[in-house]
Amino acid sequence: MSAALSTRQLTKHYAAGSDGERPALAPLDLDIADGSLVALIGHNGSGKTTLLRMVAGLLDPTGGTIEVHGHGVGSAAARAAVSYLADQPTFYDDLSLVEHLEYVARLHGVAEWQGRAHELTARLGLSERLDQVPTTFSRGLRQKASIALAFVRPFSLLLVDEPFVGLDSAGKEALLDLFAEAHRAGAAVVVATHELGFVSRVERLVALADGEVRYDGPPDGADAQTLVIPG
Amino acid sequence: MAEPALTAGGPVALGHDALRELRARRLRNRLGDVEWFDVAYKVYVTALFGGIALAWVSDLVGDEPLTATQAADVAARGPAALGLVAALAVLLGLRSGSQGGPLALEAADVAHVMLAPVDRRRALTRPAVQRLRSAAFAGAVAAGALTQLAGRRLPGTTMAWFASGAVFGAVVGLLWVGTAFVAHTWRLPLAASTTLGLAIVGWQIAAVATSVPGPGDAIGSVAMWGWRQRAVDLVAVAVVLAVVGVGLGRLGRISLEALARRADLVAQLRFAVTMQDLRTVVLLRRQLSHEHTRTRPWLRLSAGGRGHPVWRRGWHSLLRTPTGRLVRMAAIAAGAGVCQIAVLRGTTPALVGTALLTFLLGLEVLEPLSQEVDHPDRTDAFPVDRGELMLRHLAAPAVALMPLTIVAIATGVGVLGLLDDAPPLATSLGVGSLVGLASVLTGAAGAVVSVVRDAPDPLAGTQREVFMPPEMAGLTTSLKAIIPIAISAIGATSALFVRFAVDDGGSPVAVTVRVLVAALLVAAAVATWVRRRDQVRRWYRGFMAEGRAVTAARRTTQPTQEGSS
Repeated sequence: MSAALSTRQLTKHYAAGSDGERPALAPLDLDIADGSLVALIGHNGSGKTTLLRMVAGLLDPTGGTIEVHGHGVGSAAARAAVSYLADQPTFYDDLSLVEHLEYVARLHGVAEWQGRAHELTARLGLSERLDQVPTTFSRGLRQKASIALAFVRPFSLLLVDEPFVGLDSAGKEALLDLFAEAHRAGAAVVVATHELGFVSRVERLVALADGEVRYDGPPDGADAQTLVIPG
Repeated sequence: MAEPALTAGGPVALGHDALRELRARRLRNRLGDVEWFDVAYKVYVTALFGGIALAWVSDLVGDEPLTATQAADVAARGPAALGLVAALAVLLGLRSGSQGGPLALEAADVAHVMLAPVDRRRALTRPAVQRLRSAAFAGAVAAGALTQLAGRRLPGTTMAWFASGAVFGAVVGLLWVGTAFVAHTWRLPLAASTTLGLAIVGWQIAAVATSVPGPGDAIGSVAMWGWRQRAVDLVAVAVVLAVVGVGLGRLGRISLEALARRADLVAQLRFAVTMQDLRTVVLLRRQLSHEHTRTRPWLRLSAGGRGHPVWRRGWHSLLRTPTGRLVRMAAIAAGAGVCQIAVLRGTTPALVGTALLTFLLGLEVLEPLSQEVDHPDRTDAFPVDRGELMLRHLAAPAVALMPLTIVAIATGVGVLGLLDDAPPLATSLGVGSLVGLASVLTGAAGAVVSVVRDAPDPLAGTQREVFMPPEMAGLTTSLKAIIPIAISAIGATSALFVRFAVDDGGSPVAVTVRVLVAALLVAAAVATWVRRRDQVRRWYRGFMAEGRAVTAARRTTQPTQEGSS
């Protein structure tokens, strides 16, 4: 299997005033194969979001390289491949949900987007809200709208950061189904989460601690509870 | 799930169509939501205050034509002096670019457009051109309005001066934004940007002070086209346009990290400016420029040290002031000193500069108090009267202001000493110290009013706002903005009074002592206001409530009395 994502000696340091720089990610070598379902766990500040944002192209690495299907991160090919579902949903405040879906789908080259958009919104319980502006939604509904936007476009690498926060049980089920479908279709799915119950559903578990990989292997070979304890 | 999309060509072309259509649709949506009466009111208010400011400055400039010698001096030194504006634009542009500027997209644009497989340079061209256009327009209006005044005292028509000033302002605006694009896309480190920018500014200052040609002379010379035109100045304009072209050509290299970070901060900053929330503006500006409080203090106070907890808390905060902020505070203090010398030498409008700079200095040094105001729940949980707590918060900043006052005084005295007809050093030092003290003292007093006034009021209700007519609300908002600056300006007038005293043959020391006493009284009044503010408010609200109760009781009893009569 080829690598959907490959990082080599990837590091990230943040400016920290008089302390100079604070390392957020130690040199990281990581390969995620096509069609794999991976859970990324770790304590707060362990580097999960930093890693995902760097792969999405939203953070500049301090050092090292990132490749998505062999393309440099930030390139048009990499952007076409990566769908990033951020922990904080972001919307325009002058577009309705359906207008958001159209826009995101068409930016990614999907001319016939309506069928997929309606299917997604139906599964997520948003059909009645298509003409409403998502910035007026509650936290959970905004998360559902954000999920719809992440799935309305094609991708081969899905990066998901804390997707279960604010979701009701129906929303969680719908999201897990969407992960499973993406996985079956051959996309690589990487989910950063504190929901340790999700770990049993994945094929591979990567645990970060203070920016370093503490565990990388099958989920049944590790005690997830102890892996998320700092230090 | 849709098929994986590692395809080329198609998605990008379709993406650009979507982008164009979305922008058109959003424009229509925004125009549909515009309150045109509100826009007209804002234009009216801006024009009114702009006109008043222009009339005031016009009055200060006067109409009397310059003598031949004076005109020759302006012709010789004018381009270098105006070129300093261009040099400062380069410094600001370089620093802005290194800090992630000058573009600020919406967060949603960063998340959806910048992460889509569209040509980023093409997608960013429109916001970049908008940024250039707004900077050029603002520069043209401001510079045109100011330079047309020169037409009243120098050869050339007012219209010609306005036009040349507008071109100069537009070029400076383009230079600022273009330099920022170049610095950003070349990922120039902040230290390098600052060093390079300061070198250019220093060179231009040398050009103003001596006959050395400066890098901004040709741009400065453009502003004087209302009087005489030099074809060679067009080279400078071409260079600026080339810088802009290079910046636009490299837009695809804009850092997404910077765009993502600025997206949220700039949106909050705009809202804070709209709400006249000065404290939030200060905090967001610090975040935008990566200004972090020092983790290790300059000096660590001993854990078991003595002293009032508020006094110690103040020093804990001040001793963590980052280097950049310290340098900025020293520069502000020095700027205030220079402004006072300008006032002393006849440029009365520089008084506004002193007032604003000392006000800003006060805001910077009042960080411990501002932090207390930022966390009202914590403050109100202390078993201490809020007024007393806030008053005690003034002590450490007052002491911290002393070295900065010395910087202001030393700069003023130093600049004065460079002038041809400088007074004796002892006189300069004596008068300068009093002027500096008075200026910084009331500057900080104005800042205290601004900070404390914005503190949440636990006793406040909404009735006042509900019953206040819109006209009064507008006036109140304006007053809230003006009063702190007006207080800051009291001490700044000291240089003006010294000038009057010298012109009338009086004693500058005596008049400065009087202004200093006035400044001390203002500071004492502000301190008393901080201490007693809540008590006075409580009394006032009680008084008003009592009045309302009496009126209500009278209304209840009146019909009965009428009925019985």
